[in-house]
Amino acid sequence: MTAAIELKGLSKHFGAKRAVNDVTLEVKEGDCYGLIGPNGAGKTTTFSMMCGYLFPTAGTVRVLGHDPAEPGVLKGKVGVLPQDAILPPTWPVGALLTYYGRLSNLSEPEKEARTALDRVALPETWAVPAGSLSHGMAKRVSMAQALMGAPPVVFLDEPTAGLDPKIAAAVRQIIRELKGKSTVVVSSHNLQELEELCDATAILDKGVLVTAGTVSDITGQTAEFRVQIAKGSPPLEEIRLLTGIKTAQLEAKGQVLVVHFDSSKAAPEEAITATVGLLAQRGVLILAVSRGKRLEERVLQLT
Amino acid sequence: MDDIGEIREIWRGEVGRALKSGRVVALLVLFMLFTGLALAGIGAVNYMVSKQEEQTLSNSQIDKAQLAKADEATRKRFVGLVFSNDEELTDALSAMPLLLLVVFKLATVFLPLFVALMGFDQISGEIGPRSIRFLVLRVKRSSIVMGKFVSQATLLAGLMAISTVVMVLVAKLLNSDFGWGSAFVALGKLLVAGLVSVIAYEALTTLCSALTRQSGVSLLLNVGLMFVIWFVSLISTFYRIPGADVEFGSLESLKSESYAAYLKYASVWTYNQDLLHPSATRFLSATMVHLGYGLVFLGLAHLVLRRRDI
Repeated sequence: MTAAIELKGLSKHFGAKRAVNDVTLEVKEGDCYGLIGPNGAGKTTTFSMMCGYLFPTAGTVRVLGHDPAEPGVLKGKVGVLPQDAILPPTWPVGALLTYYGRLSNLSEPEKEARTALDRVALPETWAVPAGSLSHGMAKRVSMAQALMGAPPVVFLDEPTAGLDPKIAAAVRQIIRELKGKSTVVVSSHNLQELEELCDATAILDKGVLVTAGTVSDITGQTAEFRVQIAKGSPPLEEIRLLTGIKTAQLEAKGQVLVVHFDSSKAAPEEAITATVGLLAQRGVLILAVSRGKRLEERVLQLT
Repeated sequence: MDDIGEIREIWRGEVGRALKSGRVVALLVLFMLFTGLALAGIGAVNYMVSKQEEQTLSNSQIDKAQLAKADEATRKRFVGLVFSNDEELTDALSAMPLLLLVVFKLATVFLPLFVALMGFDQISGEIGPRSIRFLVLRVKRSSIVMGKFVSQATLLAGLMAISTVVMVLVAKLLNSDFGWGSAFVALGKLLVAGLVSVIAYEALTTLCSALTRQSGVSLLLNVGLMFVIWFVSLISTFYRIPGADVEFGSLESLKSESYAAYLKYASVWTYNQDLLHPSATRFLSATMVHLGYGLVFLGLAHLVLRRRDI
């Protein structure tokens, strides 16, 4: 699979402040890719350079093989939901989306605009001035303009921030539907959401790339699992002797068994089944089994 | 879609939006009020002077032909004072009613300010709230600059056309000797001169709007630069170019020689009056200068927007 987006040694400095420093990463075509990090980590700055809004101080960005700063190269190929861009307030929503559709050179801009508004469940806002929309509605209209024309790359900066749970779930569903059809880059503070949606992620902290890879690699899903113990003492020595198991230890006052394994010697399902079987044989009662760490735990550990 | 197509779409969208918004209507009303006030004030003075002349004429034994000649000379001196000492120009302008000329001159003085008020936020108003981010992925930044400029120019052309027609109609109503033929010629001349005279200021407004993300700052900058243009032109009029031939006893002969006189070439304002000049060469030169300044300002606006983070 080829890379839809490539960042090489990307840096952005605002005066003395290094907002992004020497970031190198790759987003594969068709992937849903998460940008993660605390406030001030450089997510939005990285995101803005990928969209061509900000010019890098050093390094290169390639989106579908083009430098996004080159005039007109991404026309119709990229849809963006910018985090803090305000829709022009005097435009009625329908006219605005149709206008954007025309500028994107869509063959049927009005039809596309109506379809996109339907998709974000806001057809009733067609004649409403954009300035009269609530925060959540404006975000969904911004999402609609990003989806118009089914662009091969979609950038979504904080797509569910400030939305009520029902609408946020609807937006997540839209992102799920994009998977496989478009390359999607999502920046969010909602790690559970990213863990659920993304194939791969990059974790940034203080402008530096801490780690990047598939979600399962980052959370250790192919190298670690946890067993929540309800009753009994797990036989740690015996577990360590099982095929592929590297370490086994107890955490949380003996309530959680953490097992690391070598996925080249044992597939996750084999390592888990063998361990759980042994625990059952030894009369240990189990409440739950989970693969890897939660993304949130991993991010907290790394940043 | 090519560059022209992008500019056309932005123009369509912006003009449509502006016509639906209140600002254009408010500015048109403001401009018409200003024109109306100037017409009323100058018209009243004109009327009183004419009445006084008629009364003096009826009460005295002065030769009418001699008085008409003196009146014409006074009128030319006044036109020369308002526009230029250029005899050819004053002769040509004498065909138009004084009221129309003075109101038009006043309007052209204030037009750059209207241009600034109308378009100060054309780009800064998109950069500040970052709505420009919705545009830059769809069109080239150069198309945004040109699209916004052409939209503003279209709106201003409409506004000027309406106000110039009103000016000429009022002048026609108040001056019985101002025939329809002359009125149409005057309308054409004034409209072309007015439209050309604002091109550079429209481009300057676009440049100032691209320089900053705060609309208020772009307005201040715009007005400040307009004053610089006026002052540079004004300072240059206090001096004459070293070694230039001047007629003895003329106004020019009273001025001292200084290289500061060359400053007139640095200000587009200097060329304003030549837009009404009967000489095709002078008119075309002035037009080229206005277009040149406009292109420089637009080029700078494009450079600024092309290299700036948004």
